[in-house]
Amino acid sequence: MIAKNRGRILLVVAMAVVAPTLGWGSGFALFEVGGRAGAMAGAMTAVADDPSALFWNPAGMAFQTNDGIKLMFGTTLISPEQSFTGMSPYPGDGYTADQVEQLFYPVHLYLGIPVNDRLEVSFSLMNSWGLGTEWEDDFLGRYISKKADLMVFDVGVSMAYQLSDNVAFGIGVDYMTATIELTRNVGLINPFNQRLTDVAETHLKSDGINSAWAWNAGLLWKLGAGFQLGASYRSEFTVNGEGTGRFSQVPTGYPEFDALLGTFLPFDEDLPITASIAFPDFWNVGLSWQNEKWTVSGQYGVMGWSAYQELPIIFPENPEFSTVIEENYEDAAQWRIGAEFRANQRWALQLGYLFDETGQPVESMSPLLGDGDRTAYTGGISYHTDRFRFDLGLEHVKTAARSTGGNQNEGFDGTYEGSSPIVHLSFTIKF
Amino acid sequence: MKKIIFASCLVALLAAAPAMAQSDLSMYVALGDSVTAGFASASLMDWYQDRSYPALIAQQARIDDFEQPLVSEPGFGPIFELVHLVPIPAIEPVGMVPGQPVNAALPRPYNNLGVPTSTLFDMLFTTGDINNLLQGNTDNAMHDLVLRDGINTALEQAMLLQPTFMTVWIGNVDVLGAVLAGTPIDLITMTPVEVFAQLYNNAIGALATNTTADIVLVNLPYSTAIPFTTSVDPFVDIPQLGRVYLMADTGLLTDDDLVTLAAGPLIAQGYGLPGGPPLPDNLNFFTGEPGYVLRPTEVEIINDRVDAFNTIIAAAGSTYGYPVFDANELFDGIVSGTSLPTFGGVSLSADFLLGGIFSYDAIHPQNIGSALIANGLIQFINAEFGSNIPQVDMAEVLFEGDWQNPGVSPANAREVVMSAEAFQQLYELVPPKLDQAPRIRRPGGDRPESSRGDLRRKPAKRP
Repeated sequence: MIAKNRGRILLVVAMAVVAPTLGWGSGFALFEVGGRAGAMAGAMTAVADDPSALFWNPAGMAFQTNDGIKLMFGTTLISPEQSFTGMSPYPGDGYTADQVEQLFYPVHLYLGIPVNDRLEVSFSLMNSWGLGTEWEDDFLGRYISKKADLMVFDVGVSMAYQLSDNVAFGIGVDYMTATIELTRNVGLINPFNQRLTDVAETHLKSDGINSAWAWNAGLLWKLGAGFQLGASYRSEFTVNGEGTGRFSQVPTGYPEFDALLGTFLPFDEDLPITASIAFPDFWNVGLSWQNEKWTVSGQYGVMGWSAYQELPIIFPENPEFSTVIEENYEDAAQWRIGAEFRANQRWALQLGYLFDETGQPVESMSPLLGDGDRTAYTGGISYHTDRFRFDLGLEHVKTAARSTGGNQNEGFDGTYEGSSPIVHLSFTIKF
Repeated sequence: MKKIIFASCLVALLAAAPAMAQSDLSMYVALGDSVTAGFASASLMDWYQDRSYPALIAQQARIDDFEQPLVSEPGFGPIFELVHLVPIPAIEPVGMVPGQPVNAALPRPYNNLGVPTSTLFDMLFTTGDINNLLQGNTDNAMHDLVLRDGINTALEQAMLLQPTFMTVWIGNVDVLGAVLAGTPIDLITMTPVEVFAQLYNNAIGALATNTTADIVLVNLPYSTAIPFTTSVDPFVDIPQLGRVYLMADTGLLTDDDLVTLAAGPLIAQGYGLPGGPPLPDNLNFFTGEPGYVLRPTEVEIINDRVDAFNTIIAAAGSTYGYPVFDANELFDGIVSGTSLPTFGGVSLSADFLLGGIFSYDAIHPQNIGSALIANGLIQFINAEFGSNIPQVDMAEVLFEGDWQNPGVSPANAREVVMSAEAFQQLYELVPPKLDQAPRIRRPGGDRPESSRGDLRRKPAKRP
């Protein structure tokens, strides 16, 4: 009889191992790639006049050859807050939980080297994707996710060329490396007391270098009268990763039950796993206008989240734990507007606003990522000399309250709502 | 000003409209059998009664005076408990002294008129007298306990309450006997279709005539898909020999055959194994001993009977305008695995012991299963009657656990799936309608005298 139930237990555990998703939405597509760009809400595709162009529009580097060799580096301090309010039947009306406070600091580093007055070669390092969520140990969604960490390092090489005084293009390749850690509990019904009981903690961790290649391209056209038109594209890529999965037994207080589980689950062994994760492409078009004092920019972009339809997690040596999770994301649009006021030769102020749709369907919302449409108000200040520039951007992102509406795939329904203060810091040196 | 008043009235009317359409659960009455009563782990006990699906619906609808025939621990009869999980699960009754009625003095019929062991016939014609039970006579225990007055049947008591809302889930026991006895036989272990059709229409017709209640009818799940029939393989794996299919007295079993949980003690004694006596397949008409195997044709007969009953239930619902909650679909989704109830990433199933839905008797739901039924019905009621009854909080249910932690010493456990005593208690609830008392084959000898009561029903009033 217990043997008959073995398959069900293994299925439960398999779901517990990988489950919900590495569900990615706006929430961990990072756009924090430069202090000034952040202060202008990322409306940089049609501006692209500092090294953050390597993310927003590489063509812009072609119009920066007169600046000589330049190095820009910095970080972004992100302290996300997310609250969850439950609904019946699970985890129940009135249940609330908050994520554990964390601080993340994705980095950016750009090096632009002019080859001549029309051609520039650039190198970049940035965290263009990342996610970090963590809940308390007694969180009722712990069988879906307790802790998740994802970070992608994007190492890029770009070339930008001025076709004419008014038109430039840029292309680049990106070498992406991803690290992932997921932790969650396994819950089973304890046959001795018929109570839902934590029987194990699972920890999935990527090993070595899980990498993929991507490419990007951009076009920047000076239309005249201060107007510029920009377009950029960053390609989809898929990381086929390897790692290990490990079950750690949580004693239930019932030795017979614990012993039985020990016959089903390979506790304290590193089990090899493979996973395949599709990251969406991202295109933008923008229009800007500027004069001596002002720059005003707007852009529209789409992230091709529809590429993320499923998440296969394979245990090659333990196929009973393998599974494929349906995600069914949809493409999502975003709008950004930004402005800069150059008060004098040294100081400049920026403002911005963005609206970023989520690509995550409500069915996939989970403690791993409960995403919603995001709005953000931004502002910043820059100080520069002939050789140095310092950019400070402040941003307040609010993720709109969004309910799963009783449709969540794993029976964890409620409303997620979040916000985050963000501080963008960049330092630029011209050689 | 007139516009404001008119607009205010319009808003008030619009706001009131949904409330007017809602069903009134202030006098909710549940008719049914053991599942309705909150019978779990072969016992009627207050802890599970308070978590029966009618009690949960009443709780969620904020009905304070929903009364039930509560029985103190360890229930009536003594509740089953898991005392060992490995190497072979062992299930035993907790002690031999049943609990006592604790709400028998209620001066009106109970709201929960679910009577364990009740067939459709019983619901219409069987009465019960609490004095009979209090005097120690247990020949009609469940009806005595629930109906009490010795005069009115469950159906009549329901009508006496002048209910505003009712659920009627009856008919499970009309086929359950075939499963327990491993043998589908009309009039002996199953109710004939034509009898069921006439009685069901009479019952629902009487409710339609004599009450103004909103009524939800509930159809029947397949009783061949419960853990009682799906937890024991038709084979055993023997070292050196490999997989060996059990031998019944009607021939070798195959993968398509179902072996009842009651066969565990016999298999442990060598029945069905090479060199051992064959496993009894069918009900023994002379001794009352049940069969332990359901062949595919028998499963088909039982399932066809459930289908026929459900057709009758659906037709009655259509005739009298009562919506029918599809419990068959609910359970089929769980049993087949196509629609497992999942909460916070944890899926429940119909698996015995580990699935979370069925109790230790492998037939009746435990508190988690009852909560699932309640939530299914609440959603159905809300949809049908425009109500807004909140669902049961499954987090509370899932983490609440059983009525107690195991309190029986493992030393008392026997290494069988379900002990002979446990099954005897279960089997006597719905015995085949034979002239003599049914007995099951006990490993190692005949059945000893027991102080436990005979829980068989006894019709006390016939038309």
